[in-house]
Amino acid sequence: MNTTTLDTAPTTEKRPAPQLMLCEGNEAAALGVALARPDMVAVYPITPQTSLVEKLAKLIADGRMDADIVDAEGEHSVLSVLQGGALAGARTYTATCGPGLAFMFEPYFRTSGMRLPLVMTIVTRDGITPQSVWGGHQDAMTVREAGWIQMYCETVQEVLDTTVMAFRLAEHHDVMLPVNVCLDGNYLSYGTSRIEMPDQAEVDDFMGHKDVNWHVALDPLRPMAVDPLTGGSGGNGPETFVRYRRGQCAGMKNALHVITEMHEDWARRFGEAHRFAPLVEEYRLDDAEYAIMTLGSMTGAAKDAVDEARAAGEKVGLIKIKTFSPFPVEALQHALRGVRALGVVDRSVNFRWNCGPMFQETLGVLYRLGRQVPAQSFIGGLAGADLTVTTFHRVIDETRALLERAPSDEPVWLNAKD
Amino acid sequence: MHTTDYLIAGSSHAALEAINAIRMHDGDGSITVVTRDPHRPYSPTVLPYVVSGRSTPERVFLRDDDFFTANKVDYRSGCALAGLDPAAHQARLADGSTIGYRKLLLATGASPIVPPIPGIERVDYHVLRTLDDATRLRAAMAASKNAVVLGAGLVGMHAAENLVKAGASVTIVEMSKQLTSGYFDEVAAGMIEQAFLGNGAKIRTGHRVVGLEPSADGATLKLDNGDTIPTDLLLVAVGVRPELGYLDGSGIATERGILVDDTMRTSAEDVWSAGDCAQARGFFTGTPVMNAILPDATLQGRIAGMAMAEDPGLKPYAGGLPLNTYHFFGRHAISVGSAAVPEGGRAQVRFDAASGRYLRAVFDRDERLTGIFGVNEFFDAGVMAQLILRRTDLGPLRERFFAQPLATGRELMSQLWR
Amino acid sequence: MGQAYSTIAFDPAKCDGCGKCMTACASVKFDSTDTTRSLIQIVRSGGARIEPPRPGEFELALCRQCADPKCVTVCPAGALGKNGTTGVIDWDASKCVDCLLCTIGCTYAGIALDEHSGRVSKCDTCEGKPACVPACPTGALRHITTARIYNEVGSWEDLFAPGLAGCQGCNTELLMRHALRRVGPDTVLATPPGCVPGMGSVGFNGTTGTKVPVFHPLLTNTASMLAGVKRQYERVGRKVTAMAIAGDGGASDVGFQSLSGAAERGERILFMVVDNEGYMNTGMQRSSCTPYGAWTSTTPIGAHGRGKTQDAKNLPMIMVNHRCEYVATASTAYMEDLYEKLDKALAASERGFAYLHVYSPCTTGWRFQSALNIEVARKAVESNFVTLWEYTPEAGLHFTRPVDKPLPVADYLKAMGRFRHLSPEQVEHIQNKVAENLRFVRKIAEQADEQ
Repeated sequence: MNTTTLDTAPTTEKRPAPQLMLCEGNEAAALGVALARPDMVAVYPITPQTSLVEKLAKLIADGRMDADIVDAEGEHSVLSVLQGGALAGARTYTATCGPGLAFMFEPYFRTSGMRLPLVMTIVTRDGITPQSVWGGHQDAMTVREAGWIQMYCETVQEVLDTTVMAFRLAEHHDVMLPVNVCLDGNYLSYGTSRIEMPDQAEVDDFMGHKDVNWHVALDPLRPMAVDPLTGGSGGNGPETFVRYRRGQCAGMKNALHVITEMHEDWARRFGEAHRFAPLVEEYRLDDAEYAIMTLGSMTGAAKDAVDEARAAGEKVGLIKIKTFSPFPVEALQHALRGVRALGVVDRSVNFRWNCGPMFQETLGVLYRLGRQVPAQSFIGGLAGADLTVTTFHRVIDETRALLERAPSDEPVWLNAKD
Repeated sequence: MHTTDYLIAGSSHAALEAINAIRMHDGDGSITVVTRDPHRPYSPTVLPYVVSGRSTPERVFLRDDDFFTANKVDYRSGCALAGLDPAAHQARLADGSTIGYRKLLLATGASPIVPPIPGIERVDYHVLRTLDDATRLRAAMAASKNAVVLGAGLVGMHAAENLVKAGASVTIVEMSKQLTSGYFDEVAAGMIEQAFLGNGAKIRTGHRVVGLEPSADGATLKLDNGDTIPTDLLLVAVGVRPELGYLDGSGIATERGILVDDTMRTSAEDVWSAGDCAQARGFFTGTPVMNAILPDATLQGRIAGMAMAEDPGLKPYAGGLPLNTYHFFGRHAISVGSAAVPEGGRAQVRFDAASGRYLRAVFDRDERLTGIFGVNEFFDAGVMAQLILRRTDLGPLRERFFAQPLATGRELMSQLWR
Repeated sequence: MGQAYSTIAFDPAKCDGCGKCMTACASVKFDSTDTTRSLIQIVRSGGARIEPPRPGEFELALCRQCADPKCVTVCPAGALGKNGTTGVIDWDASKCVDCLLCTIGCTYAGIALDEHSGRVSKCDTCEGKPACVPACPTGALRHITTARIYNEVGSWEDLFAPGLAGCQGCNTELLMRHALRRVGPDTVLATPPGCVPGMGSVGFNGTTGTKVPVFHPLLTNTASMLAGVKRQYERVGRKVTAMAIAGDGGASDVGFQSLSGAAERGERILFMVVDNEGYMNTGMQRSSCTPYGAWTSTTPIGAHGRGKTQDAKNLPMIMVNHRCEYVATASTAYMEDLYEKLDKALAASERGFAYLHVYSPCTTGWRFQSALNIEVARKAVESNFVTLWEYTPEAGLHFTRPVDKPLPVADYLKAMGRFRHLSPEQVEHIQNKVAENLRFVRKIAEQADEQ
């Protein structure tokens, strides 16, 4: 059980002066992992994740982190080792991206089925082919239906904080699901910012008691068969299988309020520099006629463009999705309550609908709103392309136009030549 | 009234084997042993060696108390059977008490025959059937100058040799024309006789004792030809027979012994008999015979125990086969099977005066071995017995068998029942 | 439960009557050169006496150390008794009265009168190290000590549920039950997809088939998952054995990467491969361990198909090249050898990666009668189709049951339906491959000997 509750926030007086430092996103993720004190990390290098696991290895080598590090021979084994560790009671962590994520898909899908609370950073990278080592959200988006929680970060500080919170979230008894913390390859992984390090003792208190395998274990003291053959059309096979699937969905649903409470607790403990919107951030949305939607590191440039447009009198706001999976339907519904036109910027492709994946997810929320909101899919920032303030001015312009005319069936390809 | 599942009367070889056999199949049924003898179990066969000093009374016991404890046997020594009511499943003991039983084994053995010689009741004489007999005889032997052994069976001969070696003048009186009649043939008996004569014994074969008179030293025997023989130690060893007084009124069929079938069952329900008191089928005759020898007692006891415990592995008795071994003055004699030549069969004999080796083999008309006898010959008696019991056709091997009974017998054994 | 004992076994087919066993016995027991005094007696059998005698013409007389010894029951002096610890029929010379009744009781000529001493004599197995056995140059005499396994294993708990749904005569079930009994309850067991979970070891729909914690890893990640389990228990200071019982497909094909990775990292796990030379659970498809020429459902026989066209991958030798803490091959036809290796592998798995490759004939997939499993397994070894050896980095590779006079491989192939279609050329190919494999492994063994 997590022992912390919302009403036990420490006083400001007791809070030590925050340690300030400069670091890049990958390093911040590694520092966040160290704060969470995992028992086992498994690593395999892949661009643009590599400096993250190098940092972990160094922290362990320097004795600044007490974890068993497994240099596995590939991502498939990376995740498999951690599954074994978790089943024996270990708090576990790894990071990957793109082809590595694709390679580990077999155990990846299984992790959520076994309800193992692993935490894995995806330093997002575009899908190949075309061959590319550059950033993009295609890898993380491609594994949407695998039952993992996915949270996207905007800043280096958010990477650090979200990484710590991800462990508590994964291990929450109402959740018991693996968590991906997604940070954008290149822009966040190598982007350097000033961060405030949370205090270790306070983090320890925030994390509470570790209890990773209370529900499923490989332990001679509590022998059980893990994952016996299930399903088929006879006996109790079908309902057994369904019970598991429904349980996964329930955990996902529970995660929404756990994420919210956890972010609140975190901000209360560590201060305003550590306050992040848990599910959906509403930016200058109160009187907005129309809005743009963003995900991840692109949000910074988008906010600048919104600020400039506001300054120019535009009634535009911004909606940032932090928690993509479970999809924050109600929070997004709230954000969209006054919006009359919407532009959704994706950094990956939904091949089925010929749009961005977040756009396609949002269509479902728009349907639940019960009113027609013209919406346009924008696809940009693929394979490391930059999404600048200028880019977002174009997005704002084209979204405003939707107040007057119907959206296109085609997505707007932001980095296209035409 | 004490009741028991298995009541066993007697405590020597047949009784002990029956206990083993019962316990092989029935680990729990209660077993009670009642025996007239005051001691723990021993073998009558060992008694001549107690007399000679080769063994000692305290070393002859075949089982210790642990055996009875381990096998959950209620062992009651000095407790003779006095009467039997098979219909009521009850046995009466000499002390007047009654034991109820589910199944009963009569293995009460045999007692020395005391011939009805006029005057025998007025003289002091020895017999040799119990441990106490042996102790008494051994004590008397030391002082004896002039001993007479009445009866030239194996017990008598053995005692006579002991007396000779103890320094007494010994006379052996035997009614039949040869020594060891019924055990060994004329030639072998002649060799035995020579050995005894050579060691100073006197032999009076073909004579009956017609009278006994007390004398100052002990007694004087009067033979049928009028000769008299004074003695200070008279051993009566003319044979044994079962004492079956306790069966009076029980209705259990007897002839010379208790009649049993091939599973050792008597004519009464739930009553079996084995060993020297039983009269079972003879191997050669097919009719009930007395075959009071140790190997047969163990076999019968085994069969009776299995039958009592209803062990399905029971194999019916194949019939009693005479089997005897005998050591005299450093030589050994072995007899297996019947000395009589069957109709159409033949006996083959060889004798080497120099080595003192004598061999006689008897074959039936089908070249099957029916008996083999040797003095100072080397062959495996157990193998020979099997050849006879299996009615093995020696056919083309007969000559070689006779020339080399040891090697040929082993070869056949290895081929036939290894 | 009863006690089993070691015994001296005699194979008349191998005995050439040289008599060296008798020489050894007479020498050790009586300090004599007179072989008639030997307690083991070899006798030449009858029939045509062609000189020189040939193997198969000799018979044996020797105390069998019977479980139900007649010599003991007929002894009137209590001088003979079955020793409950050694199983030997002990003869107490001080109690014996030389009556010779025991020679009547014994039907095997196992106790006999010794002319020189005038007393009976019998084999006492030289206190468990019979001198006759090492003296036998042909292997006709063997000291069978597998009783130790029976006695020990009999008291260990069978950690699989009764009634697993293996095929009739399944060797894998035999193997896994024995292996887990040995390894014991403080074990986490991984059984990747295949016959082992297929027959129910991990259970169905929420049940379990095993009394130890067991799981169904992916076909691909058995070694990795186990490594994680083991590492965490080491981290918290608990001694737990991490054991895999995997098929050859999952080990040599799709699971090879994780196997190789775990071996290279020296993960402290016991990885046992049950090599039935194919994907038998899914219906007998080819794996890289399937031998040349074998029928499988993906190397069928037809107008163009003559079975598998490639030779098997020698997975255990590949594992040797990982310099694992322990690597061995084994066969259920040689349980004593298997148990020794299991013991060593178990111990080695506390220090590093232990790999045990067990050849496991499959009645269903190899197409032979279910009663013949052990015979097929034995013929594989006797023909050198399979070689039994073990390897450690310190001692190198050594054969544990070398076969100097192998059966023709055709004798082995003929025992199974999966090779029925073989042409003489294919048989020759396999025979050559057997020779080549043997040369290769021998070379490694010789290098070890040179050290």
